[in-house]
Amino acid sequence: MNLSNTAFNALGDPTRRAIFEKLRDRPLAVVEIADGLPVSRPAVSQHLKVLKEAKLISLQTRGNKNIYELNREGILAMRHYLDKFWDDAMTNFQQLAETIEAEKTKHSNK
Amino acid sequence: MQTINLTSIKKEFTVAATQETAFKVFTKKMNLWWPRTHHIGSTEMTAIVVEPFENGRWYSRHADGSETDNGYVITYQPFDLLVLAWQINADFKCDPTLVTEVVTEFIAEGPEVTRIKFEHKNLDKLGNSKAVESMNEGWSMILDLYKKQLEQ
Repeated sequence: MNLSNTAFNALGDPTRRAIFEKLRDRPLAVVEIADGLPVSRPAVSQHLKVLKEAKLISLQTRGNKNIYELNREGILAMRHYLDKFWDDAMTNFQQLAETIEAEKTKHSNK
Repeated sequence: MQTINLTSIKKEFTVAATQETAFKVFTKKMNLWWPRTHHIGSTEMTAIVVEPFENGRWYSRHADGSETDNGYVITYQPFDLLVLAWQINADFKCDPTLVTEVVTEFIAEGPEVTRIKFEHKNLDKLGNSKAVESMNEGWSMILDLYKKQLEQ
């Protein structure tokens, strides 16, 4: 749940969302990430740091190049999200089934 | 009420209703309990439908008249068992190559008490072998949900 929240918070920033969406296509070096973004290089580095801390992306070193890619741990965040989804769904279902049952009983007692 | 492991999400609880009511509400009135915050498709969801037979469609209808598949019915066994294939991926669309199972058992424990054993299985498929592709699908979903939350 925390990872999911951190991830959502990290993605609350439009620049970070743009970076994240770029990395969905393929792993990229910092230069490639910064290309086309309307922010300074230090700002990009700062955004990358936040995304990395939220485990949304990870850093790989290939040769002397630093490459960023999506982090598999993100899948865990999605599990948490689905878990929350089904919690909500099951609670709704339970209440509805009990309400309908109670109404049926009321009618048949009349 | 819940257990989380790496490959499935489980929920188990009892409902103060007959087995028949529980099954019917689950299948025929999904529309009324499906969380609207997680709606599927590009425009507002107006209904979510489970066709009451094996290989039936499981889909949602939208305000613009379009329909999107969530998956299909694997097992339809009133009033004991429903197994749905959940195939939602990127942009909340149906991907035939992705099958995760949503299994719901309805066990009569008394005249008006039904135990629900729910499991969303095979979640590892969202994150294994076809890693990059699946992960992108998963993340598209999160991003879409996130954007919708922001818009609310």
